[in-house]
Amino acid sequence: MTAELFTLFLASTVRLAVPLLFAATGELVSERAGVVNMSVEGMMLTGAFGGAMGAAYTGSPMLGLCCAILAVLPIAVLQSVMTNTLRANQIVTGIGINIMALGVTTLGYRALFGARSRDIIPGFDAWSPPLLGQIPLVGGVFQQVWLFYLAAAIIAVVGYVLERTGLGIVLRAAGDNPQSVIRSGAPLKGVRHAAVIFTGVMSALGGAFLSIGDIHTFTEGMTNGAGYLAIVAVIFGSWRLWRTVAACLLFGAATALQFQLPAFGIHIPNALLIMMPYLLALLAVAGVVGHQTAPRALTQN
Amino acid sequence: MSASTTANASSFSPRSALLPVLLPAAAVLAALVVGMIVVVAMGVTLDKAVMAFYRGAFGNAYAISASLNRAVALALVGVGFVIANRAGLTNVGGEGQIAIGGIVATAFCLMPGMADLPLGLSYLLPLLAASLAGGLWGGIAGMLRVRAGTNEVIATLLLSFIAVWLLYWCVQSENLLRQPMTSAATLPESLAIPEATQVPLLTGSYSSPVTLGLPILLGIAIIAAILLRRSLYGFALSAVGLNPIAAARAGVAVGFTIISAMCLAGALGGLAGGLMLQGEQYSLKAGFSSGYGFDGLVVGLLARGSVTGVIAGALLFGFLRSGGISMEMAAGVPSALIDVLQGLIVLTIASAAYYLERRIAR
Repeated sequence: MTAELFTLFLASTVRLAVPLLFAATGELVSERAGVVNMSVEGMMLTGAFGGAMGAAYTGSPMLGLCCAILAVLPIAVLQSVMTNTLRANQIVTGIGINIMALGVTTLGYRALFGARSRDIIPGFDAWSPPLLGQIPLVGGVFQQVWLFYLAAAIIAVVGYVLERTGLGIVLRAAGDNPQSVIRSGAPLKGVRHAAVIFTGVMSALGGAFLSIGDIHTFTEGMTNGAGYLAIVAVIFGSWRLWRTVAACLLFGAATALQFQLPAFGIHIPNALLIMMPYLLALLAVAGVVGHQTAPRALTQN
Repeated sequence: MSASTTANASSFSPRSALLPVLLPAAAVLAALVVGMIVVVAMGVTLDKAVMAFYRGAFGNAYAISASLNRAVALALVGVGFVIANRAGLTNVGGEGQIAIGGIVATAFCLMPGMADLPLGLSYLLPLLAASLAGGLWGGIAGMLRVRAGTNEVIATLLLSFIAVWLLYWCVQSENLLRQPMTSAATLPESLAIPEATQVPLLTGSYSSPVTLGLPILLGIAIIAAILLRRSLYGFALSAVGLNPIAAARAGVAVGFTIISAMCLAGALGGLAGGLMLQGEQYSLKAGFSSGYGFDGLVVGLLARGSVTGVIAGALLFGFLRSGGISMEMAAGVPSALIDVLQGLIVLTIASAAYYLERRIAR
């Protein structure tokens, strides 16, 4: 492997991992609070759609990003009210939202954008930080859209809040032992609502990265399972932040390999590489790879 | 998830007996109204859209047959969901079980000598193999649940993705099921299966292609209803679903019940895959199982534990999809509208479920 190809591989690994990093971190917070958001897929798709439409109509990717978040908020509130207030089944609600989001974004895209569907949408450009970018071999890796640095910053903050603050304790208790939260007088529902809405915002950012950060266009159903992959990353990461981040990077690498391996004349079927994250996660939850500790009250209302 | 209790509890008062029927009906009606509003908002005249929908769903013998075949596949997944759900398990792996069924059915149908078997074995054997494979696939999730305590929702979801990519690999690789590349034009799909391995059409004519799958489904539905209501096994399922610890104390083999329930659910998914391949598509393609598994899950869920409900829901979604496809072709209304309606129906019923159950339980 030449140095150049290696750098390219690392850079595309990071780039492909960014949407997962956003969505999986959001999902992790919510699952630690006891709510599985199966709707991450739909939220990401809506984020990608909102971002693309916003950027296309205002001409500003920054406003597009705001639109992405605004578009996802109602969905996150819907998911949260349904599962936390109406006590609907979390899995079912998520799948319902995903089906609907696919329908609404497809309809909306055709109605709003049908005639202009080949246009490139204004988006963010990759940017190289002054010093990091100069490092030989790995410098090219930092040539990323600024959203990547935002993701890194949010992950650091989430890690700190989860492990070092009172809010983190309450949040983790909401997922492990909700009765204790109620007894302590902390607002269990409030914590869970906030966690689901946080997932929504993070999914919106991840989805917007896909449309206006990475390829500068929107296509129907473009998340294509990325949301589910984010959930898989949380499972494979055993509901821990750093492992989840590592899982996202691993999944990014597996995706990057699909495009890189043929360049080296190695022919592993694409399908096997794409399957790898799911297979690894299955082995993980089967207890083959280390011990898994899911929040005890996960999916229970 | 305790949807299972409603079917039994609802027979006490006429008012509560009606609710589980009225609620889905109201949800469907409301969704249809929303659909019409969207159609009008998109600038299509209502009667044009409705006519296109009607023609696609009920317009002629072919349309009705296609909708019925679709409904059969959805109902099989749905019945499987209900069986597993009775034991407190949520099988979200229909998509993967269909894919596995499709792969195995294709492999068996293309096996040398299969087409020459007598007495209908040429198509029954592949169907049986597809069911067994689906059953094993579902059984993995049950096994993981019992042995490793893995949440079956997570396991079946992961198994689904693995199966879908397995299918993709099968049709991409010539060493597996991809047709030999004799010319540049060959697509990444399997060879067409021999005619003798196709599931027979009830009318014998491709202009109304209802397959033997329909009577098979009806038979299975009756057996499943009896199994759930009258058999010892059905009682064990309910016991495990209501309280596994109490069930174990009472001498129910909890582990066996969980694994076998997941096997049954998977087998029905596998059978649906086999029927889709041998009764409709005739060759394995990458997008083989697209959406049927999730639609079937939704059908099973909306039925709230009742096999009759599954059939009603499957018919609804089968005809909705067919009508939607026709609406896209004839009236230019994207069939994504059907996704919106389906999502709305799911969300409405899911959000009412908890309160409905509590009211009936009183």
